[in-house]
Amino acid sequence: MQKASETVQKFQDQFGRKPRALVAMSGGVDSSAAASLLVDQGYDVVGATMQVWDYSQCDVTEGNGTCCSSLDVDDARSVADHLGIPFYVLNCEAKFKHAVIEPFLKAYLEGQTPLPCVNCNTYLKFDHLIRKMKELECDYLATGHYAQILAGHDGRPAIFTSTDDWKDQTYFLFTIDPEVVPKLLFPIGHMKKPDVRIYCEEKGLVTAKKKDSTGICFVGDMGYGKFIESQVSPEILKAKSGLIKRYPSGLVMGPHTGIHHFTIGQGKGLGLTHHEKLFVLKVDLQDNTVWVGDEEYLYSKDVEVIEPQFLSTVEDGEVLGVKIRYQQKSSQAQVHRTATGLRLEFLEKQRAVTPGQAAVFYREKQLVGGGWITL
Amino acid sequence: MNFIYLDHNATTPIFPETQKFMGAHLDIFGNPSSIHWAGRKSKALIRESRISIAQFLKVSPLEIIFSSGASEASNTVIKTTFLHSLKKHFMCSTVEHPSVIKTMQYIQSLGAKVDFIPVSREGLIDLEFYKKNLTTETALVSVMLANNETGSLFPIQEMAQMAHAKGALFHTDAVQALGKHVFSLIELGVDYASFSAHKFYAMKGSGILYSKKGAPQISLIHGGAQERHRRGGTENLLGLASFGEVARQVIEKGGIDFIQKKSEEIKILRDHLENRILKEISHVKLTASENPRLTNTSSLILDQVDGETLLMNLDIKGYAVSTGAACSSGNPEPSPVLLAMGLTREEAQTSLRISLGWENSLKEVDQFIDDLKISVQKIRDIANSPYKFDLKLMSPVGEV
Repeated sequence: MQKASETVQKFQDQFGRKPRALVAMSGGVDSSAAASLLVDQGYDVVGATMQVWDYSQCDVTEGNGTCCSSLDVDDARSVADHLGIPFYVLNCEAKFKHAVIEPFLKAYLEGQTPLPCVNCNTYLKFDHLIRKMKELECDYLATGHYAQILAGHDGRPAIFTSTDDWKDQTYFLFTIDPEVVPKLLFPIGHMKKPDVRIYCEEKGLVTAKKKDSTGICFVGDMGYGKFIESQVSPEILKAKSGLIKRYPSGLVMGPHTGIHHFTIGQGKGLGLTHHEKLFVLKVDLQDNTVWVGDEEYLYSKDVEVIEPQFLSTVEDGEVLGVKIRYQQKSSQAQVHRTATGLRLEFLEKQRAVTPGQAAVFYREKQLVGGGWITL
Repeated sequence: MNFIYLDHNATTPIFPETQKFMGAHLDIFGNPSSIHWAGRKSKALIRESRISIAQFLKVSPLEIIFSSGASEASNTVIKTTFLHSLKKHFMCSTVEHPSVIKTMQYIQSLGAKVDFIPVSREGLIDLEFYKKNLTTETALVSVMLANNETGSLFPIQEMAQMAHAKGALFHTDAVQALGKHVFSLIELGVDYASFSAHKFYAMKGSGILYSKKGAPQISLIHGGAQERHRRGGTENLLGLASFGEVARQVIEKGGIDFIQKKSEEIKILRDHLENRILKEISHVKLTASENPRLTNTSSLILDQVDGETLLMNLDIKGYAVSTGAACSSGNPEPSPVLLAMGLTREEAQTSLRISLGWENSLKEVDQFIDDLKISVQKIRDIANSPYKFDLKLMSPVGEV
């Protein structure tokens, strides 16, 4: 904290005013702490909540633990009032629907397991809010992400993993434009979650004891299957039904009501009565066949990645740490450029490589890029 | 930070003399309907308040029905007329406050026939349409005296005469005119008028329904015998007292002459503001500035400047302005009033409303324009930079 206050002092000496930060406040404990820490450090702070989903569609009782309800907006507002900072609700419903919800539904209907938080970061938090930051004449954009901005090997600000290994959220940040990185602040990135809660309690913030948000904010307690069914017409879903077959024999195990119910590596909820433990291995879009089989078939060494993006230069053939899902340790892989994107050759076999999820690259603790896993 | 308030059409700060008066009367608590000493004190406050307001408006105290505000007053007139009139045709303008428009739509859903009188982007109400649709079947016409967003003044006297000639009642929502514009209820000749205390430098939560002697009077809120059985419910004692106290202060300072003087002073500020903005900021248009309007209101269209963003930018610098009616701020829909006047969505979304009040000074206006210039420039610089994901490039309906 001492260090950040020095940053403020330096800014003030140089520009003759306090640095101004726009803080994205979801109404959760992490972004509340982020806003409060910046106030402590002497920043001129402006709070904003993106209203991304029509909360009238949500069950109000779901308010705790998701970021889509009006109760969360109220919480963010009361934290802002408590801190004495201006606070605005930015309506982003249309943008969120097009940039996050629709690709999410489309991916499920194409047999993938999407990662909507990345799109939200790409198109809303680190595009729309960056623009708001400039329009509101703020110098920085701050969020409650578990990630750190530290000097990279070239001395420029770069994104590094949080000191809380479990909460680290850099997996969702690989699409950030490198130009934007020097404008970012992650005030809680050097803290561990329990300490963030203790801090909020000490500061008397109403969000201190709020449940962690888990899963996807707009899905809530409803579950993916139900959410998708609430958004997509029954005819379209019906066209996604098919058979579950055993790999490699092709033995028909039974019918299923739609490929959106399955994700690679899934071992539960397959609707099968079978003495062996079977896992979803592959979804075949031609005829909507869901292939299930023994766990050993879940492992692979090679992963194809499309739409790669880099925050730092990466040599062709360089060995990097790669995460293929959130809250997983990174594994070493050699990164090769291909005509369509990248091919990752892992040094050790990976379990359940899932199309639609991201492969995110690290050079030690530094986030250097990522891309989308494809078939 | 220096806070400058330029949003008097949303609400007004409490008049300094009235603040003192309020402080001195906080210990008055009796139920005005009680016979004992505590009730008598309260009843006296209410009576004095009613007399001051009646004096200021130059009407009889009996013609004043206290309410919770103008929304209640307008609801009362429209709903009770619908319930009790044998005639089922109603008219109002397309730029009325939601408390009139939404109530009209409500009675429409219950079977009333409602015609909405168009208003042009120049701020003129379509009198031809009015004449054509007004019939002997018309029960009630409701047209505001001054519009909240553009300040446009409508020819209420003429319209009320036309309504009466067809046997219709006439109501005016006069909220925005009170304290800003010189008018006489008698000359206007309306049957009903709605007012809110908080737009007249008094407290929120109280207002009046002016109901001309002889006009039908039916209570919307049934309850006790307050307001001579015309509005049930224990009175908002201090709110009403503050309303009366502002009226008393204004009378002391000259009454209508004081309002006239204030309105002229404010016009000088408003004209200065508009002249400077037109001269110093490019691509700005004024809305409805060529026709009669309140002297305090300026409605601007600033090309390529999202109104909501500009409002936030200015707020951070200490300025309070508006992009539309206060009730709809926080809602992304552009002002329905401006849309109804024929502005495009884009124009309505890039509109800014500045509404001056009694306490504003030339120095404040100048300081505001200096900062407005910077804010507009900043936002315009960013307006042309592309989004990664541009909604304008998207098909209106998604694939799924």
